[in-house]
Amino acid sequence: MNNILVIAKKDFKSLVFSSPLWVISTLCSAVWSYLYLRELSTFVQRSSFVGGGPAGGADSLNIYYEVFAKHISLSNVIFLFLIPALTMKLLSEERKQKTYNLLLTVPISSLSIAVGKFLAGFGASLVLVFISLLYPLGTGLVADFSYSILFSAYLGLAFIVGAYVSVGLLSSSLTKSPLLSVMMGVILNLSILIVLGQADFLSEYPTFQSMIEYLSIGSHFVEFMQGLLQSKSIIYFISFISFFVFLTNRIIESSRWR
Amino acid sequence: MLKVKNLNKKYGSVHAVKNLSFKLEKGERLGFLGPNGAGKTTTMQIIAGALAPSSGTVSVAGHDVFESPKKVKKQIGYLPEIPPVYEDMKVCDYLKYVSQLKGILKVNLSKEIDEAIAKTNLESVANRYIQHLSKGFRQRVGLAQALLGNPPLLILDEPTVGLDPQQIIEIRELIKNLEGHSVLLSSHILSEVQNICTKAIIIKNGQIILEDNIQDLIHNESSSIVHLKLNSFTKEIENNLLNLNYVKHCAQKNNKIEIHLTNSSDELLIELSKFLINSGVGLIEQSPQDLKLENIFIELTK
Repeated sequence: MNNILVIAKKDFKSLVFSSPLWVISTLCSAVWSYLYLRELSTFVQRSSFVGGGPAGGADSLNIYYEVFAKHISLSNVIFLFLIPALTMKLLSEERKQKTYNLLLTVPISSLSIAVGKFLAGFGASLVLVFISLLYPLGTGLVADFSYSILFSAYLGLAFIVGAYVSVGLLSSSLTKSPLLSVMMGVILNLSILIVLGQADFLSEYPTFQSMIEYLSIGSHFVEFMQGLLQSKSIIYFISFISFFVFLTNRIIESSRWR
Repeated sequence: MLKVKNLNKKYGSVHAVKNLSFKLEKGERLGFLGPNGAGKTTTMQIIAGALAPSSGTVSVAGHDVFESPKKVKKQIGYLPEIPPVYEDMKVCDYLKYVSQLKGILKVNLSKEIDEAIAKTNLESVANRYIQHLSKGFRQRVGLAQALLGNPPLLILDEPTVGLDPQQIIEIRELIKNLEGHSVLLSSHILSEVQNICTKAIIIKNGQIILEDNIQDLIHNESSSIVHLKLNSFTKEIENNLLNLNYVKHCAQKNNKIEIHLTNSSDELLIELSKFLINSGVGLIEQSPQDLKLENIFIELTK
């Protein structure tokens, strides 16, 4: 456990003080600032027209679905593409800098390396999630809304980010090239989010359809977005992350045999 | 300290290490010699636990590398050919990180780091970023991380490669002055092995072709060749020399005559000088060839 934290701490520091995180944060902030404020001002105009005002009311528009949900969905799409850029160096850089040998020859297990690297990447990605959360929280200073559904959605966003990090980590373990690692990560994320989500063609086989739908990361994320904290979704995300971290562990272990 | 038995490593159809067996006793310094692609780095990586062999066993201090990898790794300090350093870290932070990975107790951490820094003379750069260090200092940082935890076995893969002559001398002295460690060192600079090690193994195509103490190796191979400087050297003298039962070969090279004897004993050298004086050829100089490890290495790996 101690070794895991040692690796996680060192890599988290290295990620937080590296340029990719700052570039990604700036990029995200720029996109969010423009789109969020546009959605918010549209919402204010429409709710004034309806008559309820942004403070809400029985007949008012719902700020969560009109503004926050769109913001969170946009954050999810941005993270799908940018998290692999953040995690690209986790293991590929070790191979490139020839420090991989150090990790293999100190008395720690491959699983400790994989888990430590995952925690570092996840911690750094949560910085982005936190920046995204600042927008709804800022709105909360002037508007009144239910925080419980917002936090449920952000818990879902944190889980899906964890899933992207685990996929990015696996991609990073497969190659020396950070660019290739990003490409692999994005393709894998897209495959899991979109391809597995399109199970309609299996409508004649309801068992397979429900199985594929269960495997789709998007359907579980939607439940969090709707404020439904279901244990099956939490177990799904934990299993998903564990599976990819385990695969990374096997890749590290297999490098001894190549 | 280290026992390697019937070690084999195959990369697909390439048999990189073939039935390699050797021992390294406590406190011994073993030089690992061989041309590029001979299997030196592969063998060292297997011992250090970075690679798994196709077959064979390796044990360090009685622990098998594959059955108790963690125990074995605690006994080993490994410096690969390219020092495994993180450029974005300061020297002291890097050494702290490696110490923690090696599981050194918190109470001993600063003492261990200070000792490693002192042994490798890194005091002046301890608070500098590794990316700003010269190649020689990076090599020292690599050596310092290998020394952390005071491992009884040090595996040093070409520790002076790519350094300038001054840095080579410094690193060489540094390794020579390390006490209380068994050392397995590979190098292309053979004088380095001659200088640092007590024993040498020469491998070619993954197989051991020679294993001996350095001094015995040089003595046995070199002293059977004698160089002579004579006042006059004729065909008749050459024939007389070849007729001696202890002379295998005789040839003129530049202004000297090279004679290969059947063995390297002092008695034969005395016998030869007596013969030359008695035959009146005017013996000016008789010197056994001072062969260096380079010559032996080149001869054996041809």
